[in-house]
Amino acid sequence: MCKNMPPMELAIQFHGHICPGLLMGIRVAEFAQKHLDVSQDYDEELLAVVETNSCGVDAIQAILGCTFGKGNLIFKDYGKNVYTIASRDKNRAVRIAQKFKDRPDPDSVRYRQLNQKADLTDTEVNEKENLLGVIFEKIMSMPFEEIFNWQEIEFDFPEKAQIYPTVQCALCGEGVMEPRAIKNEQGYICPTCV
Amino acid sequence: MCEANVYINRSGQEELLMESVDRIVPGEDHSIFMENIFGERRVIKARIREMELVHHRIILEEIREASESRHLELWLEPDTNHGHFHPGEEVSLKLHKGYNMCIDSEAGFSVLQAFLVNEGVLEEVDMHDHHGTMEIGINQKLDGLVQVYVREQGDQERYAITLVEVGHHHHHGMKPAGLPLEIVPCDYSHARLGENYEIQVLKEGQPLAGVEVRVTYSSTQNRDYPHRLTTDEEGRAKLFLTARGNYLFSVSDDNIISTFTLIKSF
Repeated sequence: MCKNMPPMELAIQFHGHICPGLLMGIRVAEFAQKHLDVSQDYDEELLAVVETNSCGVDAIQAILGCTFGKGNLIFKDYGKNVYTIASRDKNRAVRIAQKFKDRPDPDSVRYRQLNQKADLTDTEVNEKENLLGVIFEKIMSMPFEEIFNWQEIEFDFPEKAQIYPTVQCALCGEGVMEPRAIKNEQGYICPTCV
Repeated sequence: MCEANVYINRSGQEELLMESVDRIVPGEDHSIFMENIFGERRVIKARIREMELVHHRIILEEIREASESRHLELWLEPDTNHGHFHPGEEVSLKLHKGYNMCIDSEAGFSVLQAFLVNEGVLEEVDMHDHHGTMEIGINQKLDGLVQVYVREQGDQERYAITLVEVGHHHHHGMKPAGLPLEIVPCDYSHARLGENYEIQVLKEGQPLAGVEVRVTYSSTQNRDYPHRLTTDEEGRAKLFLTARGNYLFSVSDDNIISTFTLIKSF
């Protein structure tokens, strides 16, 4: 790559396509970076606690560098579009929650309908593409506070992710992280073989 | 009748378009706006064919774009997939003819000429047919932003221009190339997704107000141009970029069709 990709492009590249959920995540990640005055994580200086596993989380991973593999992305399966971004260096954390809307945006409702429909007609394909453009502009142009509530919170930083020894499962012979295995008279047993 | 289901007739087949519609507003240019009791809205190019009030049914007939209204245009695309060329690399571009970035393989070319504008200096460059595709290859040392344009003279006068970046981080604006009808980017600074992009339409070097600028992009699945803008009194129009890939801006006036390809790196 010749040029540094801007955050939005990083997120789209990582996620694979553009969709409203990803754009919401981009807004959250960009806000958190600005609010906490931090750049992309290198080695767990940042930590993200996400309460959803929807598209927006991919933007958090791509833009903030809080990733599943690095261990600084903590997933809580609450089904809520809530993201807590914390900086170890700054000892600060901000909790960002998407506002609940009684009356959902008609464009978004229609987009969702089309997105869930299996066989779209030509007209519907065009309509879906146009709607995505409209929603895209809306999400990216709307003042942040119209979409999200946010507040600084006290945050207990966990230890950085640890690297544990790998032991061999006595049954399948495959390697397994020691704390994930159980030990019996046969030796270490991996979760798959238990 | 409180609300009705709206159907569209396509090639003799009826297809449910929207349920429980309680508002229909015919618009200009054969468009029909409809809204239902759930707050869903749609706009479609169609005419009302029949209203069965007792059965709460409205039947529309789709209006297809007349093919004769779809003029053919030229456009240029770079032979690179990351938005720019490197110094020392051959700058290669492909010339296409068609509509809405869909190549019309039947369309032939009349008299073609290609030009390079480098730091204000105009020079004709070679164009050759490579397996049925017209290509422009510029084998000279370039660095910075250069303009490449093609002119076709025939039944209509057609122009295609693009801005090619050789090297990195060239943010300065460009002077118009001086085409009779030209789309000029207002502030070239690496057009990005999620940002506004502004162009200006010039006719004989003067801003052209109130003209329609059609805009499309390479990944569109629309049969027709997805965006239609109108220039303001300074000949300017702005678009929020929402798609990956290159964009094509097109304008026509007085038997001249002129396009500008916005090359994006993503």
